[in-house]
Amino acid sequence: MSDTSTINSQGPLLTNDGVPLKDSLRKSLRRSKIRSFLLILVPLLFVLALFVAPIGSLLSRSVDDVYINNVFPQTFAQYEVWEDKSILPSEEMFAAVINDIRITHKLENSEGKNIGKNLLGKSGTRMTYEFSGWRSLLLKTVKSATKVNKRSKEEIKPYTWEAPYKEKMIKRDKRWGKVEFWQSLGAMKDPYTMGYYLNAVDLRYDANKNIIQKVEHLRVYKTIWMRTLQVSLMVTIFCLILAYPVSYLLATLPMRISNLLMICVLMPFWTSLLVRIVAWMIMLQQNGVVNDTFVTILPCFEGMVNLPFFGATNIDLCFGDEDRIPMMYNFTGTIIVMTQILLPFMILPIYSIMKGIPPSYMKAAQNLGATPTRAFIRVYIPQSVPGVGAGCILVFIVAIGYYITPELVGGKDGLMIGNFVAREMQQTLNWGLAAAMGTMLLIAVLALYWVYDKFIGIDNLKMG
Amino acid sequence: MKKVISKTLIAGAISTAMLAGAAQAAVTLVSWGGGYSASQQKAYIDTYSSGEVNMISYNGGLGEVRAQVESGNVQWDIVDVLPSQARTGCDEGLFEELDRSLFLPAPDGTPMDEDLMVDVPNDCVVPQIWWSYVPFHLADTFKGEQPSTMQDFFDLEKFPGKRGVHTWASAITEMALYADGVAIADIYDVLDTQEGQDRAFAKLDTIKDHVVFWSAGAKPLDLINSGEVSMSLAYNGRIGGAVLNDGADYVTVWDGQVLEEEWLVLVNGAPNRAAAIHFLIHASATEQQAGQAHWINYGPMRPSALPLMEANEPWFNTGVNIMEHMPNTDEHMKGGILADPDWWADNGQAVNDRYAAWMAN
Repeated sequence: MSDTSTINSQGPLLTNDGVPLKDSLRKSLRRSKIRSFLLILVPLLFVLALFVAPIGSLLSRSVDDVYINNVFPQTFAQYEVWEDKSILPSEEMFAAVINDIRITHKLENSEGKNIGKNLLGKSGTRMTYEFSGWRSLLLKTVKSATKVNKRSKEEIKPYTWEAPYKEKMIKRDKRWGKVEFWQSLGAMKDPYTMGYYLNAVDLRYDANKNIIQKVEHLRVYKTIWMRTLQVSLMVTIFCLILAYPVSYLLATLPMRISNLLMICVLMPFWTSLLVRIVAWMIMLQQNGVVNDTFVTILPCFEGMVNLPFFGATNIDLCFGDEDRIPMMYNFTGTIIVMTQILLPFMILPIYSIMKGIPPSYMKAAQNLGATPTRAFIRVYIPQSVPGVGAGCILVFIVAIGYYITPELVGGKDGLMIGNFVAREMQQTLNWGLAAAMGTMLLIAVLALYWVYDKFIGIDNLKMG
Repeated sequence: MKKVISKTLIAGAISTAMLAGAAQAAVTLVSWGGGYSASQQKAYIDTYSSGEVNMISYNGGLGEVRAQVESGNVQWDIVDVLPSQARTGCDEGLFEELDRSLFLPAPDGTPMDEDLMVDVPNDCVVPQIWWSYVPFHLADTFKGEQPSTMQDFFDLEKFPGKRGVHTWASAITEMALYADGVAIADIYDVLDTQEGQDRAFAKLDTIKDHVVFWSAGAKPLDLINSGEVSMSLAYNGRIGGAVLNDGADYVTVWDGQVLEEEWLVLVNGAPNRAAAIHFLIHASATEQQAGQAHWINYGPMRPSALPLMEANEPWFNTGVNIMEHMPNTDEHMKGGILADPDWWADNGQAVNDRYAAWMAN
């Protein structure tokens, strides 16, 4: 305190060229900051352009319902004034649907090419996510509402369909007379929706946008989320159990042997994923190596034996063809194969930490009177925690989004959320739902990271 | 080795040059791989002299196509698609609507769109093949009575062993209803109701604990060969390929087969649009349609190709008769269910969700 006051009393400290030291220091600091910023600018732009932007834009689809609202503005406006949603809406709403269809159908892009037809087609796909059947109902109605000349591809005017529409539409397709179709519009009426997220946890909107459960036979995602967590946790735990002793050996054995051991760890790591999966299939399938071995080498004993206390007992100790254990194309298969595949992700971080633990600590502990076990538990394990934490986080994060292994060996009850994301992306084209599930995965991983930081501290995380 | 490296270098240089100059390059045809792509290569591409066509494989679905079209960076020209995707893709404008008058009529003058076994669903599609989901087993699996109907596939007592079934709902739901006694003509009417769907899933419940699920087309053959399952559903071309080319001892049970369409489509904004259309005209001609059956037992979409094959038996390249292996002969069509892709485009999401829930729980 006294130092500063002395400086202050003598005026600011100056550099050789008369600039106050403080300013000069600030300038040079800023210069070095700019320099380091310029250095990371390229990777930063790279990450922004190729990672954050595309992922962000895809994730934004999980709430985006602007599209359908642009196609059916009048319809959704009418929906707001539809009072009793348990009976069919009035003629105005039927007319609004036809108006929206006709306006959209004529739309052209800047090059004068008609895009309206495809806009309606896309809408049909979107609406089918809310209620089965919308697609064909909409397309059928588009055809009736807007007759097109086959040759010139231009609309025939005047329209053959004139108001009032209600009866005509119901006559054309009786589904227009079903109130469920109209009610399902409620879930789409806002440009931003939580519907995809609800869908991803087996909930949905009803006609008044209240959140309700889906019908029982359509509830699938909760099961899959729970299973994804279960598989990831189990794989992490099994990896830890297997990896800890291996890492310990790697870190403590003499170089000559540990190098050999390291190669055994890395060899599968370098082998193609598919090769390893197929190898497991051959090992574990119903007529695979493991089951065949059980059947042929396990002793088979069957018959009556005179046991003490029990008397004559029929004993069947056979491992026959019917006892073959199903280990592939199910939950067990997914766990076994994923554990093997992810094992190096656990071994390597733990090993790198263990390598840095001086052996003298253990000796010191024992010199001070600890038994080897106690020394190991009190001295060695706490020091290896950063590696264990890193390994667990790494394995868990990789496991939670796993796709290819469950796809190939998961069968009926080994599929994970990644497989469903892929299904929505590829097959049903419901990218909103896929994006919602992706966002939830991302949040789960970030939450895990936060919890880790809170309890163990991210500074303790050491990857190597 | 040196040769390989220099070839790779050249290929790399060429592709870079193509990217840079966007010169008129080879048409890209995207298909399913395996014996099916091989048959397309031999029947369509090897017989095509007016340009180059490159084939690449994909795993189905419109995810890539939609990503390419929406980003405006279209890489693919022609895609081989399933019926429901042929519809949704055309609805959404992922495929281009084609001028139907360009395509070649049948030898008797019938225009292409009338020379099809189904009504043409839209103007985007170009006829490819008929294929089917069908159960099969090894000839020596069952002693005594042999499976001959779809009921037998669901009958675990008469024909013990596990069943191989695919991981999505189409075809198997229809089969379940058919096996449960619904007449073929009524299947989609029944399936359109809640009770009908419940009925199909109740039937599926009867085999649930004995099902091994597959998703890749080659898998059912592995499952059968390794003894993992005693009967499995498969794509009929996979079974036929193994029987016709490798002499596998498989028996196909045609009753209750579910036939699906397969179409070629032109991606909207395809980089080699003109050349691709030219190739599509060639590939969809009666002669090429029949020619494909030289190499694989998928049925031609154009009926005008059938007499060409029948008259020239043995038509298959190994010198055996092909007609008895085709899914769409009169004989095999007796118990054949024509899939309704429009119904699936409407209900696919819900029924597949239900199927996934059924599988998972």
